Amino acid sequence: MRKPRPTINVKKCVVSSALLIAALSPCIAAAALGEPETSVQTDAAGLRGSIKVTPHANYRLHEIQLPSGTRVREFAGSDGKVFAVAWNGPTVPNLRQTLGQYFDNYVTAAKAPHSGHHHVQIRESNLVVQAGGHMRAFSGLAYLPQAVPDGVNVGDLR
Amino acid sequence: MLRLTPIGMPSRAWRFGLCAALCWPVLSCGGGGGSSASFASGSSTPTGSNVADIVVDAGPTSTKPNVNTLFTTVTVCVPGSTTNCQTIDHIQVDTASYGLRILAPVLTVSLPVQTAGNGASLVECTQFVDGYSWGPVALADVQISGESAASVPVQVIGDANFTTVPADCSSIGPAEDTVAAFGANGILGIGVFAQDCGSNCVSAAVPATYYVCTSTLCQATTVLLANQVQNPATLFAKDNNGVVVQLPSVAAQGAATVAGFLIFGIDTQSNNKSGNQSVLTVDPNSGDFTTLFNGKSLTQSFLDTGSNGLYFNDTGLTQCTASGFATFYCQVNPQGLSAVLQGQNGMSASVDFTVGDAETLGGNDPSLVAFATLAGTYPNTDAFDWGLPFYYGRTVYTAFEKAATSVGAGPYIAF
Repeated sequence: MRKPRPTINVKKCVVSSALLIAALSPCIAAAALGEPETSVQTDAAGLRGSIKVTPHANYRLHEIQLPSGTRVREFAGSDGKVFAVAWNGPTVPNLRQTLGQYFDNYVTAAKAPHSGHHHVQIRESNLVVQAGGHMRAFSGLAYLPQAVPDGVNVGDLR
Repeated sequence: MLRLTPIGMPSRAWRFGLCAALCWPVLSCGGGGGSSASFASGSSTPTGSNVADIVVDAGPTSTKPNVNTLFTTVTVCVPGSTTNCQTIDHIQVDTASYGLRILAPVLTVSLPVQTAGNGASLVECTQFVDGYSWGPVALADVQISGESAASVPVQVIGDANFTTVPADCSSIGPAEDTVAAFGANGILGIGVFAQDCGSNCVSAAVPATYYVCTSTLCQATTVLLANQVQNPATLFAKDNNGVVVQLPSVAAQGAATVAGFLIFGIDTQSNNKSGNQSVLTVDPNSGDFTTLFNGKSLTQSFLDTGSNGLYFNDTGLTQCTASGFATFYCQVNPQGLSAVLQGQNGMSASVDFTVGDAETLGGNDPSLVAFATLAGTYPNTDAFDWGLPFYYGRTVYTAFEKAATSVGAGPYIAF
């Protein structure tokens, strides 16, 4: 069973790293999915959001609240790597940053021949991306199936 | 800037590509095309200055036929002018977005771009579920049927004068800036909200939404509600509290065209009166409601004329296997199903629907573009996307936020 514990507010830390990153710009490309947990800090800074961290039995949940109201949740396993990213809210988050090296896969899937608008679904052995919703209410989930820790139900990642 | 390639094969590859390759040389055409769509007997044809014709057809580009895509015709004028106007057909009707957007290449009138005090232009990064559309916010007098609104902020997508897309904007997905990518000459968002962003963009410069741009630099900006791209139907002088979409049912084999009506206003004329339909209020922030299906409560459900199918998850249905069809359902024997739609007000309505075989819809007749049984999986386990097939054979009311009608205040949907 998951046992949510008191959250740790690290907003102050994020603000200072944001300043640091601004100073070091354009080196802001570090991203989350498949990257070390520390990259979540980079994400939060780049997305200008506040962050809280909640430890669970099989993973640590980093929740980033964006100024738009959109909530980005990044799930990190015991190996310290982010294995899933979920988002929900009125705007789409910066997916280049949160999907990192997998953003190009996402763009390719979104550009698949079609006319009009469509949902985006990628189902590969090493990558699953599901993006849906509509104007003012977007949601999505991206995860690395081979990196999901034992005991974690993918259906709970949202 | 444009990355979506209008490649040689017909779009809708999932349907026509396969059919063209496998079916055409072998089988003769069945179905016979034509309009296999009909209104319920006894229903009268709505007439009046608040009634616009709407149609499901193959769309504006013959090489990229659309499926289940609903269009209307819109006239835009330079504000204050009665002569500097353009009537544009094949504008997609979308009840899950907000605001009028026109693709720049089809626009022949020069609409003035909204500017900030320092002369910088207001430009928008419009977020769609599969990418973004970038272009300035211009002003237009908008006329649809006999309804009109003056100086409406509209978006001109893919304007050649604004080609520098901010990194935050291009970081949400691919560009959708052409008629081919869009599948329409523009899009008319007439869902429950009055603006495309709302109060979020008044209080903060939200990344990947609105920007002020000079010739060299774009900067994220806050935007007053009145300057955001507006759902034009909320600005009409009358009949501005909602819209009614009325479409005939579509025969099982499909139809080449489906003609219906977009009626402006609710309870404002004899042709848009509330009846005994179920009124379901929706979330005032998202526009969503709850669908009860297969024992699950899908709280992020929505009605959407802009979705070309019914999208939901049901592990009991057979998924297609052919390339390009993988996310669709292929029920060789069409499966009848039922769900309950539930508003925030607790009101609910049962809906029966049928899931068919996406791979064989239309047989080998490429003229058929409207199908009531097209369905596929949805990328989120908490939602049911009631796309255009839901609207076939129904009269569906959309009441705008803050609007009053005889059966209650918007935002609500009713059918």
